[in-house]
Amino acid sequence: MKLEILLAVFFGGSLLTYLLGKISKRARDILAVLVLLFATAGITSLYGKSSTATLYTGFLDFPMVLSIHPFAWIFALTIAVVGLCAVIFSWLYIRKKGRTDFFYFMMLLVIFSMIGIVLSGDFLSFYIFWEMMSWSTFLLISYNRGKAIAAGMKYIVMSVAGSLAMLVGMISLYTQTGTLVFEGISGSLNSASSGYLQFILILFFVAFGIKNAIWPLHVWLPPAHSEAPSPFSAVLSGVLIKIGTFGFILLIYGIIQVQVFVNLGHALFNVRNLLLLLGAVTILIPTFIALFQDDAKRLLAWSTVAQAGYIILGIAYGTSESLSGGTLHFFNHALFKSLLFMVVGAVEFRTNGVRDLNSLGGLIKKMPVTFVAGLIGVCGLIGVPLTNGFVSKWLIYHTLIVNHSPFLAFVALLGTWGTILYSYKLIHHIFLGQLPRKYEKLQAAPVSMKVPMIFLSLTVFVFGVLPGLPLHVINLSELGFGMEPLAINMWGVVTGSGSIQMLNIATALILGGIVLWLFFRMGPKNTRADQMDNYAAGAPVPADRYQYSVKFYDPLTRMIAPYLKDIADNFYSALARGIRNAGNGIRRIYTGDVGNYALYIILFLAILIFIQLYWKVW
Amino acid sequence: MVLVLQILFVSILACLVGLFLIGLSRKVTARIHWRYGPPLSQPFIDIVKWFSQTAVSHGKLFDAGMIFSLTGSVVVVLFLPFGGICPLSGSGGLLVILYLMLIAPLGIALSAGESANPHASIGVSRKMQLAFGYELSLLMILLSLMTYYRTVSIVDIVETQIQAGWSLVQLPLVVSGLAYLLIMPAIMGIRPFEMIQAPQEISSGPMAEYGGKFLAFATLQHAFNIYIGLSLFVNLFMGGGSNAGYFLIKLLLAFMVFQVVHAVWPRFRIEQAVRYLWRWPALLAFIGLIIVWVTTS
Amino acid sequence: MTKKSGKMDRNNIGKWFKSPGNMGQKYSLHALYFCTGCGIIEIPPTITTRWDAERFGVIPVATPRQANLFLITGYVSVKTLRYIIRSYEQMPEPKYTVGFGSCPINGGMYWDSYNTIKHLDKYIPVDGWIAGCMPRPEAVFVAVTHLWTLIDKGMATGYLKYREHYAKYRRNQEKILGELEWPPLFSKEEENEKSREKVAG
Ligand code: SF4
Repeated sequence: MKLEILLAVFFGGSLLTYLLGKISKRARDILAVLVLLFATAGITSLYGKSSTATLYTGFLDFPMVLSIHPFAWIFALTIAVVGLCAVIFSWLYIRKKGRTDFFYFMMLLVIFSMIGIVLSGDFLSFYIFWEMMSWSTFLLISYNRGKAIAAGMKYIVMSVAGSLAMLVGMISLYTQTGTLVFEGISGSLNSASSGYLQFILILFFVAFGIKNAIWPLHVWLPPAHSEAPSPFSAVLSGVLIKIGTFGFILLIYGIIQVQVFVNLGHALFNVRNLLLLLGAVTILIPTFIALFQDDAKRLLAWSTVAQAGYIILGIAYGTSESLSGGTLHFFNHALFKSLLFMVVGAVEFRTNGVRDLNSLGGLIKKMPVTFVAGLIGVCGLIGVPLTNGFVSKWLIYHTLIVNHSPFLAFVALLGTWGTILYSYKLIHHIFLGQLPRKYEKLQAAPVSMKVPMIFLSLTVFVFGVLPGLPLHVINLSELGFGMEPLAINMWGVVTGSGSIQMLNIATALILGGIVLWLFFRMGPKNTRADQMDNYAAGAPVPADRYQYSVKFYDPLTRMIAPYLKDIADNFYSALARGIRNAGNGIRRIYTGDVGNYALYIILFLAILIFIQLYWKVW
Repeated sequence: MVLVLQILFVSILACLVGLFLIGLSRKVTARIHWRYGPPLSQPFIDIVKWFSQTAVSHGKLFDAGMIFSLTGSVVVVLFLPFGGICPLSGSGGLLVILYLMLIAPLGIALSAGESANPHASIGVSRKMQLAFGYELSLLMILLSLMTYYRTVSIVDIVETQIQAGWSLVQLPLVVSGLAYLLIMPAIMGIRPFEMIQAPQEISSGPMAEYGGKFLAFATLQHAFNIYIGLSLFVNLFMGGGSNAGYFLIKLLLAFMVFQVVHAVWPRFRIEQAVRYLWRWPALLAFIGLIIVWVTTS
Repeated sequence: MTKKSGKMDRNNIGKWFKSPGNMGQKYSLHALYFCTGCGIIEIPPTITTRWDAERFGVIPVATPRQANLFLITGYVSVKTLRYIIRSYEQMPEPKYTVGFGSCPINGGMYWDSYNTIKHLDKYIPVDGWIAGCMPRPEAVFVAVTHLWTLIDKGMATGYLKYREHYAKYRRNQEKILGELEWPPLFSKEEENEKSREKVAG
């Protein structure tokens, strides 16, 4: 299928969905799904193709180019599939809330613009789609009104700052190379100085880093994720912030070329090391902060920040194995994190908006399918073998260890062990433990929510056992970047220093499980006990009296709390305070902390440009 | 065929060794306490008894978690070299072992969580925190090994040691080895790090609701766990073993060291344990990692 | 108790194959850590260095789910009875109860007390008694060897009796404790009993 037809039909379909909603609600719901099905099918049919199409050349001599290559394909497909699941999930979810036409329209628009970004072949269309995405995201984040508006403001202000950085970078690139088409830029950047490249990289990293929520730029993400409607949180966390990842890969591997990137700058102080450091910090601090969260979605949001750290680590490390790991982790994260947001969304839907972990419990008895989905999602997040997160994390660790970066590997591994703690907390507090009396009549999740959850759980499992499927596509894209692809097969990866074979692991685990299950069945039959028939030193357990999940990791959190402050947030706040004290004029223009975040970033950029204009250091 | 025999041999032998060590531990503790102690076969007797008892289940996950946990342990055993035999060597090495070792505690945690017993949840919470405590050092120790030997495969590490001597006495690794010794009781869950079960205060924690065959499974899992903890140490630091007998002797040697600690120490509180683990062993492990990193680059 | 039956046959492999269940129960008696009355003072020396019950496989365990031996170590006040019943019901089958001291047998020196019960076996089945006020640790071992004999002969069937006459036990329990907070353990039997009563009435 032609790319422009795909995008045009998608956009038309979105508009039509909005209009159709005025006539028939059911038809609108179905049309929204059909539009996404069409997009998914269209993208799937483009498998393995690499082509470029110049659409329009008139506008100020800026051609608009659309292009597809294996690397864009895997992103586009993930976006479409996650989007599809999220829209099916929102059928019932959003019906409770009102303004549904608007929601669907915005949802489709976000997905459309993301696919647009991924498929665009020049910076102009990239930028246009990028802005579309930012603004429709803003409208969706603040969909719930109230607190959500503040969260949305925080997001959009940071986002605008990022766009600004990107704009500056684009203009600079245009003056340097005379074109905005990726291929053209890539060709003429070969002769650029290392200083200039670092300047460009930093500008774009501000833009992409804000979207991707890298550590000092992550402040918008936790409130935005927790306030947005759950189906959109799934899209937001699963794919939207990974558009930043896409930008990183595009810039480093597609435009600048990885060999140049790795050798850029001083041996110690260079952009690559900066990114690696930020990646490590992004893994560590948010993982610890997630331990403290009592709001299910906020916990997942912090977890998203932390997982983004792995991806950044993988991308910035710059070996083909690490790129495979990073990209695969993006793909896997999109699947299991959107699954987890749907699980939390389903619970929220049935309990009328309860997200506080401390007031839930025992829901496994009422929502078993949702629990299994949640468990699989959490296993993927941890990277338990047989789920997809395992392979991608293995690739990242392996490349870090073999290439002699044990400290980065240590941070990555430690992050995983922190993940176990908060993942278990999530599962335990929602689904395990005692069922409060008020939830005794709770119904299971509706079918329209179960279907996407079951589908995503299956993908988490399938890609965990057959990592060769996505890795094959990633290999194709690495070939496109001129890198040596990994030696893969259907079940895993073979490297000189240790290999991974899911076939062995899966067979051993599944067969072992079956044998032990039979062994277990051989013993005497066990009787089923009620949750109230529990050991409590002989006394009958009082119902609704045990709330033992509050402060679950208290001894540990008490120990680390003094060392763990959201330094970035505090820094911005302190900066904001300083600026506010400095002048009334500024306060009149920028009210609230959020404005000052942006101001800081803009000032920083302004200084960079100023330095470059006057002293031409780069 | 050979593979199947190897798998059966290793898993059954590991189970027997683990149970024997539990019995031995009870006997040795008793002797240190000036008691006669139970027969060495006591763990086997207990398991036979548990299998002949009825049991109470709190739900599907209560059963499944237990099976899942034991499966995880059995599979880890297959990845560990057993004196020259390693049934599933070529599939991921140390990193996979590290991840597979997660399954057992995770299974127990899920199963215990399903039981809706506060004691169980407290026990699990302690287990998670303790694991976070010792993993900090363990990860650094394993990383210094992997960096030193430049591989992630445990079989390679063992083979290099058979030629070049124990890691424990290799100069850059000796600090890491010491750190490993310090966290070993925590990994095996013996005193002074027994606060996960603590029968006197939280009624044996995660085990509170287990009876009958659940307890049998839990004990088997514990047996495997002891075997895994020791065998990891023997393989990584004491040169593994060129044959099974030699390997078992080393295993016994390492076990006796920790058994003496177990018999005479009281129990830490969880925050004391974490503070201890994050102080001395972590410091040593960090120094060890730096030494290895500097000497190999 | 004859001399012969008191002999330990733990290492008799043949018997292990013939009846593993019984042998397992015999040599792995896990006593519930549950203390009533003064008798508990005799338990620490029994399980520690002085007498070392562990050499016979008798160890204390923390929760009823893990236990198969219930030692009622002294007088049972009405308040404690509730917890005894609850704990007994939570133990897995087969399970054995031993009344320790004269108080559980017939009230002992509390025979006229207003808040202790006099006959423990009206509320839960008891497989054996140790008389004395208070019995020495050796008596516990005698009781254990006696219990072995009973298990061997298939006579330690208190738990089966509880099953069979559950309705009667429950009625006795409710008579003294009032309404019980937990549902009946064996609901069917109770219904049968009730219908039988109706027919008879
Ligand atoms: S029998 Fe004697 S020692 Fe035992 S509880 Fe009664 S009064 Fe106390």
